[in-house]
Amino acid sequence: MSNDVEKKLQKLAIEVVSQIDKKKAPYVEIPQRGLSNVFFDDEERMLKMGDKTSKRSFINIAHTKKFMQTMLVSSYAKQLVENNKHAGIRELYYALKHSIGKGKENTFEDQSESNLIIEDLERMIDVLREQLNLTADRRGFIYGDIEIRDGKDRFNASKLGRGGWAVPGNIEDIEFKKSNVDRILVVETAAMSDRLIEERFPLDNNCLLVACQGQAPRGIRRLLSRLHGEMGLPVVVFTDGDPYGWYIYSTIKQGSINLAYLSNTLSVPDAKFVGMTMDDIETYELQGVTEKLKDMDRKRIEEELKYPWFKHKKWQKQLNKCKKMGVRIEQQALANKSLEFVAQDYLPEKIESRDFLP
Amino acid sequence: MPDIKNADELFKDFKAQSVSEFFKKNAAMLGYTGKIRSLTTLVHEGVTNALDACEEAGILPEIFVRIDELGTEHYRVTIEDNASGIPLEYIPQVFGRMLAGSKAHRNIQSRGQQGIGVSGAVMFSQVTTGKPTIVHTSTGGKYIFTGKVQLDVKHNVGEIVEKEKIHNKWGWRGTIISLEAKDILYNKSRYSPYNYLRMTSIANPHAQITFIEPDGTRILFERSTHTMPKLPKPIKPHPYGITPDDLLTMSGNTNKKSLGQFLEKDFVRISASKVAEIGRQSGVSMKMRPDKLTWDEAERVVKAFKSMKFFAPPTEGLRPIGDEEIQKGLESTLSPEFSHTITRAPQTYRGGILFVVEVGIAYGGKSGKGGIEIIRYANRAPLIFDQGGCAITEAVKSIDWKRYNVRDVEKIPLTIFINLVSTHVPYTSAGKQAIADEEEIFAEIRNALMDGGRSLSRYLAGKRRLYEKRSKMNTLLRYVPETARALARLSNKEQDTIEERLATLITERYQIDQVEEDETDEQ
Repeated sequence: MSNDVEKKLQKLAIEVVSQIDKKKAPYVEIPQRGLSNVFFDDEERMLKMGDKTSKRSFINIAHTKKFMQTMLVSSYAKQLVENNKHAGIRELYYALKHSIGKGKENTFEDQSESNLIIEDLERMIDVLREQLNLTADRRGFIYGDIEIRDGKDRFNASKLGRGGWAVPGNIEDIEFKKSNVDRILVVETAAMSDRLIEERFPLDNNCLLVACQGQAPRGIRRLLSRLHGEMGLPVVVFTDGDPYGWYIYSTIKQGSINLAYLSNTLSVPDAKFVGMTMDDIETYELQGVTEKLKDMDRKRIEEELKYPWFKHKKWQKQLNKCKKMGVRIEQQALANKSLEFVAQDYLPEKIESRDFLP
Repeated sequence: MPDIKNADELFKDFKAQSVSEFFKKNAAMLGYTGKIRSLTTLVHEGVTNALDACEEAGILPEIFVRIDELGTEHYRVTIEDNASGIPLEYIPQVFGRMLAGSKAHRNIQSRGQQGIGVSGAVMFSQVTTGKPTIVHTSTGGKYIFTGKVQLDVKHNVGEIVEKEKIHNKWGWRGTIISLEAKDILYNKSRYSPYNYLRMTSIANPHAQITFIEPDGTRILFERSTHTMPKLPKPIKPHPYGITPDDLLTMSGNTNKKSLGQFLEKDFVRISASKVAEIGRQSGVSMKMRPDKLTWDEAERVVKAFKSMKFFAPPTEGLRPIGDEEIQKGLESTLSPEFSHTITRAPQTYRGGILFVVEVGIAYGGKSGKGGIEIIRYANRAPLIFDQGGCAITEAVKSIDWKRYNVRDVEKIPLTIFINLVSTHVPYTSAGKQAIADEEEIFAEIRNALMDGGRSLSRYLAGKRRLYEKRSKMNTLLRYVPETARALARLSNKEQDTIEERLATLITERYQIDQVEEDETDEQ
């Protein structure tokens, strides 16, 4: 595996060097990022990257610095893989940052620059950041009756205390040993996760709780994808009732625009959405605890209305209703009923009746 | 009580003073005001005379100017030419007679201060030093004649006070005038003889001018063309360009028998039927003798001219310097990076006076003087003084040079050459150093300047593109070492080779682009 990545990196450089030897302006071809190069694959039900590429040419003054940065990141990744070392993406930034020549200019001025180059490199040679031995800050945890082996450690994720098990950035080497759960419940906020754990919801309902803490990080998404694929566990997602919460669900289910090239390994097209919905406001009489939409929210609604992967009429209905009502509803607003309401009434009722959105 | 003097004594004093009195009254008109300007005027008169003499003889001018400092504000000016020389008997006429010039009554494009010319210089010398002007001349024959010339203003003649002839064993041909003057000052300012000669050289690329400054410095303004300018042809005046005074002067000198015949024959564009119309409109008899014309009648005739339509005058009387020659002049004197010249088509002002505007633009090299330098000419003669009140200066100032890619008007090394060619140059004053603000002339100068501006703009844009290209290349080169090091690590190849080849690739590409750009610029 690592040998393969090394070769891909080396091949990239050899091509560039041979262009230089032939006195041709050196360039690399990079699959384009952004919405324009993403499409929704109806068959596989996920976002896929298109085949549009752009040339990053050394002699184009607008590309020159990025070209140099691409080579610096590639070279650093090769060293990591060769020496079997791992580095955080922030470490990579600091390792490569230095002034160019005698000037004031730096190789990288900001970590966002090196982060983008890492994503470019993944798409260029079709490898994962993790395979380049690069790791991101981790986020998210799981709690539930499932046995996991991580290196020499083997443990049950329901016996690590209320905090559960924090999911690392790279979970490729993790093994799932045994599970006593029927489904996975993904929860947007850590606070709601804490509530559900305190109410014993995961244990009482044979459910593995996955707290993604906002937009699901890559480690969490990879974990969900593997658990679904390897253990056959259905995935149910529980977020705030607003365009951001719904997009968290959408990303888990069918991938994101930015990482469309990774949808195959990161997405769970069978995932279902349990709440919150606009309908919940009426059903559970939550009118008094809604929040007004802001301009940003309305803009986001308009964007989502246009995405092909939000074209399902039930989602169009939710988005339009949200726009019309001009409000959003948070998960924690359910506390208005009682602290136990979410664990004892809301979720069990909705899951049992399979009151899901697709 | 003063002694009573007799009439003879008084008259003697009067005669003795008359030359200087006359001069004082007319000094400004003749260009002798101020210490620096007076010296420049002396040089101007001598050089103009020399150039005219050479051109009339069809000889490529070789002119030698020397200024010696003899004391405080006391100099000797010596000017030599290689023209055909002056026969002895004409010396008093050439150097002594006021209004002697044959051009004064002719409608011809001429460079000089019409009529006064070198005799003014002789007079200035005489007034400030009391000494005659020394003239050496030879037609290339056996002898060189030397004469000392003085002026008698009362009789409007020059007189040779001493003459001498020596054997011309060198076969020399030409004329040398040498005169002393006081109350003048040499320096190297914009108003100095140096700048006057430099400007003369630009407008007269066929002339070779050697100049020796008072400190002995020898400056050579080299000839850059061997083509002689064509001599201007006298043309008859056009009715629109005439004043009652002109008309009276002409009618007094004509040999025509009737006013009608005089108008028809001595003017252009006046036909027999126009004569009849002039008669009707002015109420002046066309049958009267021309020399009987009164001021009042002349005014009525001129008024009739103005109310009638005439064809524009024929253009063959004008002799512009020409694009190519101006360019040579600019190049040999200023060695500019870029120059562009425009000779516009002839136009008329005040309805009938022909003129042509010529503009030359020189950028870089020795051009400019801490910003835009304007060098003005009228019929090839440099206009050095009264720059502020001149229509040429106004026209240059009216151009928004920023629109022509000129970023800093205060710093750009730009010389703008403007020559107004006309049979009648409209000067603002008798000093003849500034062009009056005639609407048509101003507009023509502006048109020519805008034409030049566009061309300059293209050049400067190209230069800027080149500069930007160069800085782009340097940017690219800055990233080479880092990129090469990373590529070497990735590919396990030699870093130095990659670095060198990548750098070469960039420099070569830049040079190819530069050539392509130069080629497109040429088109």
